[in-house]
Amino acid sequence: MLKLFLAEVKRSWIQFIRYPAEAIGGIFIISALFYGLFLGASYVAGSSIKLGDRLDSIIVGYMLWTLVTFVLFDIAGTLQNEAQTGTLEQLFISPFGAPRVFLTRAIANLMIQFVLITTILLIIMSLTGRWLSFPPTLIFPLITVILGAYGLSFAIGSLALLLKRIQQLLGIFQFALLFLLSVPTESWTGSSKIVGLLLPMTAGAGLLRDMMARQQPLNLPQLGLALLNGCVYFGLGLALFRFAERETKRRGRLGGY
Amino acid sequence: MQILEVQHLQKTYRSSRKKIAQAVRDVSLTIAGREVLAFLGPNGAGKTTTIKMIAGLILPDRGDVKINGRNPHRDAEALRSLGAVLEGNRNLYWRLTPIENLEYFGVLRGLSPKVARQRGRDLLERFELSDKRNAPVQTLSRGMQQKLAIAVALIHEPQLLLLDEPTLGLDVEATQTVKRLIREIASEGRAILLTTHQLDIAEELSDRVAIINQGAIVAEESTGELIRRFSGSAYVVELEHELDLDRTSKIQNLGAIVTEKTILIRETEILYEVLHILQPLPLIRVEKEQANLTEVFLQLIQTQSKTSC
Repeated sequence: MLKLFLAEVKRSWIQFIRYPAEAIGGIFIISALFYGLFLGASYVAGSSIKLGDRLDSIIVGYMLWTLVTFVLFDIAGTLQNEAQTGTLEQLFISPFGAPRVFLTRAIANLMIQFVLITTILLIIMSLTGRWLSFPPTLIFPLITVILGAYGLSFAIGSLALLLKRIQQLLGIFQFALLFLLSVPTESWTGSSKIVGLLLPMTAGAGLLRDMMARQQPLNLPQLGLALLNGCVYFGLGLALFRFAERETKRRGRLGGY
Repeated sequence: MQILEVQHLQKTYRSSRKKIAQAVRDVSLTIAGREVLAFLGPNGAGKTTTIKMIAGLILPDRGDVKINGRNPHRDAEALRSLGAVLEGNRNLYWRLTPIENLEYFGVLRGLSPKVARQRGRDLLERFELSDKRNAPVQTLSRGMQQKLAIAVALIHEPQLLLLDEPTLGLDVEATQTVKRLIREIASEGRAILLTTHQLDIAEELSDRVAIINQGAIVAEESTGELIRRFSGSAYVVELEHELDLDRTSKIQNLGAIVTEKTILIRETEILYEVLHILQPLPLIRVEKEQANLTEVFLQLIQTQSKTSC
């Protein structure tokens, strides 16, 4: 699996940098957005998740939003791109099996995106002399959110397998994502709290808000619930993808987008 | 030893209007090592559906596929013995170079990066692509891309190779190279399932032929045997110059048919008598009338279509 992961990182990175103008264009857009945020233009972040009004919170929130959006549409996007480039079937005849190949690729893509954004942020911070501060334990709730996002990504990928063209649906998913990441379930009480725990990604996003906006320490029981939530959604997404793969093979409609 | 065993494959598609189309009906095939099976049929006959069922990309309604004794629909390990170049697909990443493609697909098929790189270099050498190893695939000619796609399908040294229209759109030189490679690959002990609409290529390369029409196999036997079965017993004599009237009438009296510079002899016992009359005229060829795969194919398909009407 590690070998496959490294091969995916290498493949994605080569594809990204093969045409320098395109790569520089992408880096320029990300740099401009984050630089805008540093200069105080918080509206640049658009409809992204709000983790507070401080610069640190706005930037961490925007980064989280960017990464989760990236994860969410990665598998469906890969399916459609591979069908267009004529390599989709080759992925499905790998002895690793399609779910493992797509997950490994999605993690590799996320890693490249994460390293790219982090590097850009570090450069901007050194240029402006404004260093962000955030607790390193932020990584734990972030993992639970990313787990849930991968689960949903597999679910959207399943729809892409079954329905082929889902571009119109992706817009709806973006609204749903905004709701899930910004709904304040951490302040809900009673039966609403249970509903909050059942929604994907919201428990982890709540923890992130507690830590960034309210400067609270990491709540371990809450983290456990968020992790459980992330794992359940990840498992459900994976199961759905396996079902969709089998169903698409039964209908004989793999490829042909 | 049989590398591919396909037993009673069946696939039916249901459209949204509840229309039922039987794409594949009771198809059985086997291919042994060192053997090239030409899998032929008109468009829409069920070739691609069958190939995709063999590759584990379409689930059959009924029947069984075994590659080296393993079922690709139940056991992913079976895919280690399978390489495929699928028609209508590029099968390659265009932004990557040949060596990068070989390394990536090698790892995707279960090799270590080091082994994949080494085998990739060897394959590029063998497929005469070494000088293009660092050029992005999209800058290569169609022939080179196709050679590379075959090399990629061989990176994990599979026992079974599925080649769906491997010479489609290639120029004469590239076609010759691909044909040579297919022969070489089979001689290494691999089983090859080849589909093509270029029947002269199928005739030249295949040991056996399976012809599919309307989802069912209508003929499956050795290529030579099939052609022999459809060939007549007549002889054709071709002359360098047109025949004079005297010889023409003598030969016609024996029962042969004379048309300008060609003589058709249906009754083989008069062959030497005709040759005696022709002496000492210069001949171009004396040949037993031989069918070719195209004629056999058309005859089988047309007969079957008439029967099913």
